[in-house]
Amino acid sequence: MSERVVFDGVSVTYPGMSAPALREVSLEVPEGELLVLVGPSGCGKSTFLRALAGLEGVSAGRILIGDRDVTRVPAKDRDVAMVFQNYALYPQMTVAQNMGFALKVAKVPKDEIKTRVGAAARLLDLEPYLDRKPGALSGGQRQRVAMGRAIVREPQAFLMDEPLSNLDAKLRVQTRAQIATLQRRLGTTMVYVTHDQVEAMTLGDRVAILKDGEIQQVDSPAAVYDRPVNAFVASFIGSPSMNLAEVDVVDAGVSLAGTTIPVDREVLAKVTSGRALLGVRPEDLDVVGSGVAITVELVEMLGADTYIYGRLSEGPLLVARVDPSIRPALGSVVHVMPSRTYLFAAEGDQSLLG
Amino acid sequence: MIARRDVILGYVLLSLAALISLGPLLGVMILALGEPGRIGINLDIANATNFGNFADVWEKGDFGPAIRTSFIITSVVVVVSVILSVPAGYAIALMDFPGRSAIFALLILGILMPLESMIVPLFLDMRRFNLDNNYWSVILPQVGFSVAFGVFWMRAFFVQSARSLVEAAWIDGANSWQTLTRVLVPLARPQMLTLAVLFFVWNWNDFLLPLVMLSGSDLQTAPMALVTFEGARRTDFAYLGAASIITIIPVVIVFILLQRSFTRGILAGSIKE
Repeated sequence: MSERVVFDGVSVTYPGMSAPALREVSLEVPEGELLVLVGPSGCGKSTFLRALAGLEGVSAGRILIGDRDVTRVPAKDRDVAMVFQNYALYPQMTVAQNMGFALKVAKVPKDEIKTRVGAAARLLDLEPYLDRKPGALSGGQRQRVAMGRAIVREPQAFLMDEPLSNLDAKLRVQTRAQIATLQRRLGTTMVYVTHDQVEAMTLGDRVAILKDGEIQQVDSPAAVYDRPVNAFVASFIGSPSMNLAEVDVVDAGVSLAGTTIPVDREVLAKVTSGRALLGVRPEDLDVVGSGVAITVELVEMLGADTYIYGRLSEGPLLVARVDPSIRPALGSVVHVMPSRTYLFAAEGDQSLLG
Repeated sequence: MIARRDVILGYVLLSLAALISLGPLLGVMILALGEPGRIGINLDIANATNFGNFADVWEKGDFGPAIRTSFIITSVVVVVSVILSVPAGYAIALMDFPGRSAIFALLILGILMPLESMIVPLFLDMRRFNLDNNYWSVILPQVGFSVAFGVFWMRAFFVQSARSLVEAAWIDGANSWQTLTRVLVPLARPQMLTLAVLFFVWNWNDFLLPLVMLSGSDLQTAPMALVTFEGARRTDFAYLGAASIITIIPVVIVFILLQRSFTRGILAGSIKE
């Protein structure tokens, strides 16, 4: 039976560490939702998952699965299933035994174990491998066995700890789609941890972005892309990441390397110190006849798009994602203009839009 | 592909090591087959034909009952010690409970303390509890010493075995005992067998403890029987050599038997690193 997951002011501090790995995190994952937790390494996303699984004790706050307070409940009694990054399959057991282990421990009758393992194996194309040991499987098959072990349980929630990071690029895309389909079909609440923002954007009903143990923003993939609450979220979501440059506020806009970029007056009014952080996504940067001059340092052709890396006369490297017909020479000067901009406070990097 | 030169070097080094360890054994063998009653060490290979020495020694040293006693004691010690070491090592490695490090420190102390320093108080204690001069007087202290090392050994295995396997078992609903017996013990088989071999060799060869503990009884272990051939003033080296061979043969047999069941590469495929 699928259930909601609630974090209510949860803090986790590892022994011997002064800074908490999770800092008063409050978050509700409604029943049946696929929530993706994303952030750079060390942001606390794995800690979140481990605290939810019962593998890590919490120092403050409450964790609820459904209406049951599981804060002090040991891992074995939480009725959640987890897929580990390294799969953690039991090497001495066959695929069928791996998938049925939890049911066997729970003293489910043998016939039922067989039926449920069989059903999961059919779902994951694992039927020919049921009698093999994990050592005789490919990486993708092992990953599916790990998924199968979770599905067979019919748990209240699935916890996924970077389940795709050990697969090659092609398999990763395939499996990503499989996981999304599977989750929708089963309708089971899923908390999915990844450092890969593409996975986050493509998989999640909602995405939670973590940094330094704190949640920065929880919203739909479209919303975190369109309306990031701060420069961190803005630069983390989207690939290549958003261009950020410190700019001076001038009349009717901001000045980027001598060129005035128009910005709404309402937004400009929120700038306090006269300086702000301008954000422009690479896909919003167009090559134009006159605009911000950049010296081209690198051109990456990806087929459908071309990325131009160019340096401002003063300041950072800008990335523009342009039509592949545009092929500037290295060292040449091109002019770019943003079609859409974001503005963040120079101090604290909060978004000044909306 | 290993270079041919490395293969040759490997053989040379291994042959050298074999020679170093087999040399003395060969010496003892020649000694054991020498003419009995001769004074001094006689390594004359031409005269090493006295196979009757073994039968003589078996009779004179009362080796039948001695080997039986040694076998009973050592088997009980090996089985009990392994059975105790595995769960204790698991608890110290993976379970969280107050006093864990203190208990571990105490166990380490058990490894560090030489037997000689505590043999007398140990004997007095055993006597107070009427545990002297029987099998238990040797078995109980030997189990104590063995478990100290065994916990240390198994802990090392459990600590460095895949943490995520243990966590997967917990999340699958297994309690500590199920995690240990169904997930970890099958993986720890090679470590447990190695431990059993070590326990067997050490306790079989133990001399001082049985000598002290069994001093007032008719019981004697194989090493005690061996020592009866070492005279105070003159030693019959042919008999001593034959007795030595008889004493070590069971150890060799146990080693070969257990070594055959060592399994390698059992962790393959479980964890994607």
